[in-house]
Formats: sequence, structure tokens, C-alpha cells
Amino acid sequence: MKINILYLLLAGLTLAACEKDPVAVDYGEMDGTSYVAIGTNATAGYADDALHYDAQVNSYAKILNEQFSLNGRFGFGQPLVEEGTNGVNLNGDAQLILGYKTDCKDTVSLSPIRIADNGNTSAWSDVFNVIDNLGVPGLKILDLDNVGFGNSASGAGNYDPYFARMASDQATSSVLSDAIARDPSFFSVMLGDSDIMNFATTGGAFDPITPSAGVNGVGFEGTLDAALTALTTNGANGVIATIPDVLDYPYFNTIPYDGLPLDADKTETMNSVFNPIGLYFTEGDNPFTMECDCNLPYGVRKMEPGELVTLSIPLDSVKCNGMGSIQPIPDRYVLTLAEIAEIQAKINEYNTIIRAQALKHDLALADLNQLYKGLNTGVLYNGINLSAEFVTGGAYSLDGRNLNPIGQALIANTFIEAINEKFNANIPFADVTKYHGVLFP
Amino acid sequence: MTLLFKRQNLITRSLFVEMLRLIIIILLLPITSFGQGYQVNLQGQVQQGMGGAGTALMQDASALFFNPAGAAFVHKSEITGSFTPTFAKGQFTEHLTNATAETTSPMGTPFSVYGLFQLKDSSKLKLGMAIYTPFGSTVEWQDAWVGRFALTRLALKSIFFQPTVSYRLSDKIAIGAGFVYSYGSVNLRKDIPLQGQNGIYATAELAGTGHSFGYNVGVYFEPAKYLNLGLTYRSQVNMAISNGTATFTVPASVEDKFPSGSFASSLPLPQVLTLGFGIKPSDNLAFALDVNYVGWNAYDTLAFDYDLNTESLEDTKSARKYENTLAFRVGAQYKLTPILAARLGMAYTLTPVQDGYVTPETPDANRINYTAGLTYDLNEHLNFDFSILYTQVKREDTNLETGLSGNFRTRVIAPGISVSYKL
Repeated sequence: MKINILYLLLAGLTLAACEKDPVAVDYGEMDGTSYVAIGTNATAGYADDALHYDAQVNSYAKILNEQFSLNGRFGFGQPLVEEGTNGVNLNGDAQLILGYKTDCKDTVSLSPIRIADNGNTSAWSDVFNVIDNLGVPGLKILDLDNVGFGNSASGAGNYDPYFARMASDQATSSVLSDAIARDPSFFSVMLGDSDIMNFATTGGAFDPITPSAGVNGVGFEGTLDAALTALTTNGANGVIATIPDVLDYPYFNTIPYDGLPLDADKTETMNSVFNPIGLYFTEGDNPFTMECDCNLPYGVRKMEPGELVTLSIPLDSVKCNGMGSIQPIPDRYVLTLAEIAEIQAKINEYNTIIRAQALKHDLALADLNQLYKGLNTGVLYNGINLSAEFVTGGAYSLDGRNLNPIGQALIANTFIEAINEKFNANIPFADVTKYHGVLFP
Repeated sequence: MTLLFKRQNLITRSLFVEMLRLIIIILLLPITSFGQGYQVNLQGQVQQGMGGAGTALMQDASALFFNPAGAAFVHKSEITGSFTPTFAKGQFTEHLTNATAETTSPMGTPFSVYGLFQLKDSSKLKLGMAIYTPFGSTVEWQDAWVGRFALTRLALKSIFFQPTVSYRLSDKIAIGAGFVYSYGSVNLRKDIPLQGQNGIYATAELAGTGHSFGYNVGVYFEPAKYLNLGLTYRSQVNMAISNGTATFTVPASVEDKFPSGSFASSLPLPQVLTLGFGIKPSDNLAFALDVNYVGWNAYDTLAFDYDLNTESLEDTKSARKYENTLAFRVGAQYKLTPILAARLGMAYTLTPVQDGYVTPETPDANRINYTAGLTYDLNEHLNFDFSILYTQVKREDTNLETGLSGNFRTRVIAPGISVSYKL
């Protein structure tokens, strides 16, 4: 008798043990079968300071498409740069990789270097017809519905080469019209960061930030509203992302404002040069000198705490040619406190608009701003610690402002979380450990 | 087999057939890490057949482990060899992705050898030697599994040598004590979240051996013919690895940051206090009940102290925060014929692992073990014991250190055999 009871018990346990959780996709109130992505660098898969294959196939948009289609493949047209080539950016440069670099002092160190002297410029003449990933690196919102934005007939400098590769008709297409032409059942929008980044990466020297308020074609708000209205007209559902605080990027946080170490001799030299205009230096770490519209006619001051040096600063000039000491750093490599305040105000305004627009158009809201903030303090994922530290933090690519595939997977999961919540869906999250970070030689 | 059936009546035959069916069914199950914590309670086939209880029910030389005092009440000189191949299959389903991973662990090989010697028939003193493997298992997870930065493989082995003295104070009471020398090895592998140009993750392998000392003492008391009591205490044994080898396979550009070299670590094998009851309502029927109190709180931290530290390779201290626990073990034995005894048992063991600290090394949970066993006396000198254990462990957790979050399921089946020769 005892045996029988045990037998039954074991049989029961066996059945319970055999059930396996299926990886099922439940769309809930959305429909991910026909998905179109609109956005900027992250959407396009721009990383390591170039558009390149490996980053493109690991864009969050592509990852989302993969998670949407776990139960059956849905095509997702992407304007891929040829696999195995060097990638390309607007300057014709190749992508960055981590390699060994010899600096002006003959010190060899591990550093981001170009994978080749030249980028794969032949990619500019690629022609694609059916594109679902309408991520365009550097796309500003006022160009979203700019007809002929990719028209190479307009001549160099008058069109966008990234969009030219993917426009369904260079003369008549806009990014938005091509997206709508795909008649998507679901769309994602991540816009606004490029409007700010060009200002920020040039130290506020060029390219003013698009105004927040204003009607379609003038301001961020009206233009976004019009685009979302157009995208939802056919009943499509969508998700929109808040934009990161671009000042969180390692691009702005790797070189400290007080990165000028001075010994006794150098301190004396600096003081003999600068004391006459009221600048004093002491032994130890000092703030860099930078150009300003002050202390005229010299136009030099010391950097203030909180001011940021961009990663684009020529480090050899800093190390060997007195940049930041005898030679003040040009303004284009520095974000001043006023510029920082302007950037942050705009980011807040944009995000307030994005949140309101998400409500208005009944969209899911993916809070990427929070995700990037999290990277500042560190994100733990299954034993991997990711942070905003340049190179070693793992999440950012080698340009210090665009994410790696692993960071892209975090973005994708932030989108999925928002979609699942908003649309009662059950889209499985992407396995972040399957996406790579910085690759070491 | 024919020999086995020869002298049985119909009832025992059908019972045996039932058991055989049960064993076959269990063997057909998809098999899946093991032990309470990393403890393996497979030190005697007789006890294993009765849920692991036996501190107060002395039947053979395995008393040297279960209660050194009770050995004085085992009637003869005896030598026993026992082997319990252990098959464990683990599965992990991650919360976020729903992705599953399975273990590819090799068979566990707990074994024990007991020798018990009585100098003269009338002697109250017995001497014994026990060799057994109370802790250890190998857990190996499939390639590229989602928890790879926590663990890819852990092989833990220990072997205890326990010379023992057992003395019968009177017809009712005995005391015993064993000195324990233990030798153990550990080999831990995991991936490091650092990739080479080919995208392959760096790996760390930490291997070392250690040895230590402990003791095992007990009291055995027979207040009445039908009732026995046993109380034992097995001391904690600290397996200290002072000169382990840490090997890091990392991309060339960061090799100087991960210098392979020596490390030190230690793993406590916890103290166990056991109170046991043996009840014999008749000559043919016996029940055993054991309650173990296991001092798992000794395993508070798993620390690795590297000889060569760099900014990337710092000494680590991982919280384990195990808690002291109880285990309840009950079993019944019925002598079907003078030469054939059948057993059934169950054990309920509480996990020492708190929420937030479940790791893929030992994805432990409260569990019920189901066991059964048989003894067949071939003749006056030689007998064979068989046992089988089945258990299933389910645990859902989010590890605070690694963030690994999901469901662990483990199934274990451990069929065992022993051979005893009595003088």
C-alpha cells in the first residue's frame, strides 16, 4: 500500500516536472507583426563613430523585431552596410576599434583607433527599397518630414547621405512618409537627442538646439505631434522614448576639468605667464585654461568646476603642445556652465513634451532617460556590471556617446517593459548576455 | 535474480515487482544538483532506504558514521563498501527572457567504506575505520547559459577518514568517538564579462585542495527493548585552501590586469547535531526517526583572496549568509523473510539558503526526499543492500549579488548498492 502511495506521489511529481515554460509571445493589445522604427543613432545602429554592420544588426530596433517575432519571423528591412567592411561616417572615417596607440610621448596604450584609414564610402551608393528601420544617424526632428532629405541630386552638403541610401524615392520621400508607406501595425519613435547632440558635441559652438515650442516645422512639440498623428491615423499602436541626458555620456565625462597636473617648475612658468591677467596656478592638479570672451584682449580663463571637456579634444596637443595650459583649449571642446544649463533645460523640455505626447496619442512610454541615468550609477545584469565609464564601463561603444550591442539590448528591454505594461502584452525580454560589449584585442 | 526470488512468498514477490516497477519508472524520468547546501547524505544504504535516518538504529558498520557509539552494539566485525551513483539534472528558467538552461553535470560518485573490528567476542570495545564523502558534487551548466558570470562549473570533492573507538558501558548504553581527517578539492569556473575581438568571453578557473580535521562523537542508549535513542555530534570542518591556482584566460591586452597566480579560500563543512529514535514494535518491524540540526550559518561568505591583486582583480567576498537548519528523517523497515528486508523512508530538509542568496552552485530549497531500500542476506557472512533516493527541488529567486533572477528546478535520483561482509 505504501508503495502505491509513493508511486502516485512520484507520478504526480513527474508530471509537474515535465511542464516547461514555453517562450510565448503575447501581443496583448498591440500587434508587432509589422513594425517600423523611427529614430536617430541608436535606432540606426550607429556606434564606434560609424554606421557599421555589427552595430546595425544589434540595434535596439532589430532586437525588438526579433523579440516580436519569437513565434515566427517577420521581416525587418534594414539599410545594412556590407558585412565585414569598415563602416562609414559623414567624414568618411572607418569605425573605431580598441587597439594600441602610440602618443606624442611614445607611450603605447590601449585606445580607440580607426579600424582602417578609410571608411567604406562605397556604402553611400547602396540602394535599398524596403526599409522598416528608419533610424537615421543625426536625424533632427525638423528633418523628419523633409521631402527630398535624401536627394543626392541636391548636391553634396544639401542632403543626408544616410537617408539617401534608404529613401524609397530620393526626390519625393521623407523619413516620415517612408515610415507611413510601410503601413505599420506598430511603431517606435526615439527623436530629440540629435537635436541636442550636435550642439553639445561641438561645445555649443555650432548648430543651435531646435526650439521646444512651436508648430509643425518650427518646434519640437508641433513637429512631433504632427508625426505621431500621421503614424496613428491607421490605428497603429506605438511606443515613444524619452531622450537621455546626453551629458551623461562618457564623451563629456572622461576628461576632468582639472586635468592639468603642474610641478614646481611648470607652476612657476604658468604663473609668470598668467599672473598679469589675474590667473593663478598651484602645484598639483589645476583647471585647464580655455578660450573665452573674457580677460580681453587675451581671451583666456581657467575652467570652472562642473564644466565639461569633450572627448574630441586632441589629446596629443594637451600632452605635448601645451593645450589647456599655455595654449587655452578652444571653446568647441568645452561645454561651459551656461551651455550645460541650456542643454539640460532643453532635455527637460523635450522629455516633458514626449511624455505629454505619449499620453495624447495613447503610446507606451519607454523611459530611456532613466536607463541612461542608471548607467551613471551602474547597472547589474546577471553578473555583468555596466556603467557609463569610458571603455571599461562596457555599455558605451568606443565613441563614448553611442551604445554597444549590450547597451542596445538594455534599450530594447526598456522598450519591451513599457510595451508589455501599456498593451497588456507579454513580449519576452532579450537576453542581454548574448549581446557583446567592448571587444578587447 | 532467481536466487533472490527463490524463498519468497507471493506477497513479497508482488512487493518486489512493485518496487522494481517504481525503480524503472524513476529511471525513465528526465533526470535532473544535489544535497542540502552542498551536503551529501548518502553514507549508508540501510539508512538511505529509510530517509537517511539511523542514528538510533544500529544495523551495520555504517554506524561508524551515523553514530560512533552505536557501533559497539553492532554484533560482529564487519566490512562494508557502498557506492551511490547520483544523477542530477538542473534547469533554470530566467524570469526576464523565459529562456531556459540545463545542467550537464556528470554523475556524482559518493562512496563509503566502513571497517568495524571487535578484538574478542566478549569485548566491550570496538575499533573502526570509516572512509566517506559527506560533501561534494559537480554542477556544470550548459555552454553560454545566462548565469555564466555567476558560474559555469563547480566541482567540489571531499573525503573523510575517520578512525573510531566505540565502547559499550553497559547493555544499555555506549559511547563512541571518531577523529576526522578530511581532504578536499574545489574547482570553480565562470566567465568574466570581458570579451576578445572574436566576442568570446574571458574565463576564470579557481582550483585548489585543502585538508582539515574534525571529530564525530555519539551516545547510544537502549532504555527498552523496543526503543533506542542516539545522539551524535559531527564537528564543523573548515576546508582551507591556502595555495590554490587561479587561471585567467583573458584577451592579451588585459592579461596584466588578470595575472594568473595563487589564491586562498575556505569552505566550511558544517557541524551536525542529530537526535535519533529507533522503535522496534516487533522483531520484524522497525522505525527510525532522526532530527538533524545543521550549523550552516558557518557558510556566511565565500571569499577569494588573490595573491596578485590589480585594479581589475580585487579580492572578492560573496555573501552566502546560510542559516542553521533542521532536517527530519523517517523510515520504516520490515523483514519480509529472515533474509530479506524492505525499507521505505522520507526526509524533509529545510534549506539553509535565504531568499536573495540562491546561486547556481547550489540552487537549494526545502525538499522532500523519497527513499526505498532492500537488504538481501546471501548467507551468514555476506549481504547486499540496495537503496534509491528521489527528490525534486524548486526554487525561485533573484540573487542580490549577480541579479540572476528565475526558477531553478533540480531532480535527483540516486540508486545505491553496498556489500557487507561480517565475520
